[in-house]
Amino acid sequence: MSPRKARAMLGWAYLLPYASLFVLFVLVPIVVAAYLAVMQFDLTSPKSAGFVAFRNFADAWRDEYLQRAFVVTAKFAAMMVPSLVVVAFALALGLNAMPRGRNAVRAMVFLPTMFTVAVTGILWQWFYNLEFGLFNFVLKNLGLAPVPWLSDKNIAMPSIVLMSLWWTSGGTAVILLAGLQNIPRMFHEAASLDGADGWRGFWSVTFPLLRPVVLFVVVTNLIGAFQFFPQAQLLTGGGPELATRGVVQYIYETAFNGYRLGYAAAMSWMLAAVVAVFGFLQFWLMRKEAS
Amino acid sequence: MKGRWVLLVAMFAVGLLFVAPMVLMVLTSFKPEAEVLNPESAIPKHWTLQNYLDVLNWSEEAPFVRWLMNSVLVSSSVTFLVLVLSSLAAFGITRVRVPGGGAFFYLVVASMMVPGLLFLVPVYFILNSLRLLDTPAALILPAAGGGFGVFLLTQFMKSLPKAIEEAALIDGCSWLGVYYHVSLPLCAPAMATLGVLTFIGSWNDFVGPLVYLDSIQNYTLPVGIALYQASYYTEYGRTLATSAMATAPLLLIFAIFQKQIVESMSSTGLKD
Repeated sequence: MSPRKARAMLGWAYLLPYASLFVLFVLVPIVVAAYLAVMQFDLTSPKSAGFVAFRNFADAWRDEYLQRAFVVTAKFAAMMVPSLVVVAFALALGLNAMPRGRNAVRAMVFLPTMFTVAVTGILWQWFYNLEFGLFNFVLKNLGLAPVPWLSDKNIAMPSIVLMSLWWTSGGTAVILLAGLQNIPRMFHEAASLDGADGWRGFWSVTFPLLRPVVLFVVVTNLIGAFQFFPQAQLLTGGGPELATRGVVQYIYETAFNGYRLGYAAAMSWMLAAVVAVFGFLQFWLMRKEAS
Repeated sequence: MKGRWVLLVAMFAVGLLFVAPMVLMVLTSFKPEAEVLNPESAIPKHWTLQNYLDVLNWSEEAPFVRWLMNSVLVSSSVTFLVLVLSSLAAFGITRVRVPGGGAFFYLVVASMMVPGLLFLVPVYFILNSLRLLDTPAALILPAAGGGFGVFLLTQFMKSLPKAIEEAALIDGCSWLGVYYHVSLPLCAPAMATLGVLTFIGSWNDFVGPLVYLDSIQNYTLPVGIALYQASYYTEYGRTLATSAMATAPLLLIFAIFQKQIVESMSSTGLKD
């Protein structure tokens, strides 16, 4: 064996353990997802599996429940992403301006991101409870009427968004704070000399310099928001009246309660296509920023 | 000057808002059940360990200790596998410089762009075909195939000078020896960050065990406590005691590795 060939064999010996799991649980699933999407495949009767070409996609296109789920997901994203950016920005600016104690407060706002979504859901379900929840207890003491936080179809989604803000805005604030601290001091000093302080300094100096980081935060959270699922699964189960059942939850129920894997795979591709559009948007905008 | 103090106080108040739910969780878990539903005072009037004792003595419907052991097993196996397999792969790509290694690296990075939801159904299908559903392996193996570790360690090793490794090779050290005695110690900071992030991610994973596990005995903590809460939702004292115990290991990790955790989060937005 030539030394070059020996080295190649040796190198792949190092790669092989990881590569085998990568192939089995990353590459093969993508192929299987494509295969399932064009099959009628029900786990309850695998013998009846058959090729149906694009019928799953055609069915999904006309599926009223899927349309509703897309509306719910879009609604969550439309509420969550802007409020997250505003809250995280306020936190980051506040932290950045702190003369001391910054690391302590940064740790405090970051702490909720360490929680599993299950514990987060349990805590907030307790706060939101109609009869003995903390929020309604406070409202009652203020002489106000109790709010049906999770059982009203117009309030449930904002309640989920509020919980998600508590859970994730600290993490986003830390990213923005790092961006703020990355801006060289001289920019602020120059702006200050030109009389651009405070709010004007923020809009004319800080924000433009931070654009790439903000862009990153917006797109990654948009991608995350479109895969919204566990928060609703835990807090409302998708209710009331499916008002909080997003696309991933519908896919989950189709696949693992109804065992219709083919149809669920087709819907997964449709949502993945939407998410991919955001990914390409990010790539394109980043390139434009860079040039 | 006065404005700065106002800001300081205001920011601490905001920080307290973020911490308050956790403090309430811990305080309430020490209340007797009758006091839990009556939130007049956040601090228990009668402190009790009863909720914790009840939880630890739970039986078949809610075997807390079993869930805890499952979580420990799964998270530490995932962390161990990710650290070993990713560092071996990164070593192969950057040091042995195997032909095709660069292309493989780009394939791994590209796969990280695929949204996670797409894997839910096909991975279930594959685990079902391998008869691995409802076993710890259903959570461990797919997690170890994720690309983040290879991405992180390959980037890190690329940024290190190769001179020490080359010197070790010339001195007659074997490739495996170089990996173990030279590269691994050099990568220690990146390995620590990767290990901590992997452990946290695995410990907190909710959707994986929800989809790939079936029997209560095999649950990990997040699905276990969610199931318990769904069926005994009025027993908040016990649910909160469970939640506090499930969160405690992470708070310990956060206290020790705060710098690495926050820094790795910070740097995600600064990449070009």
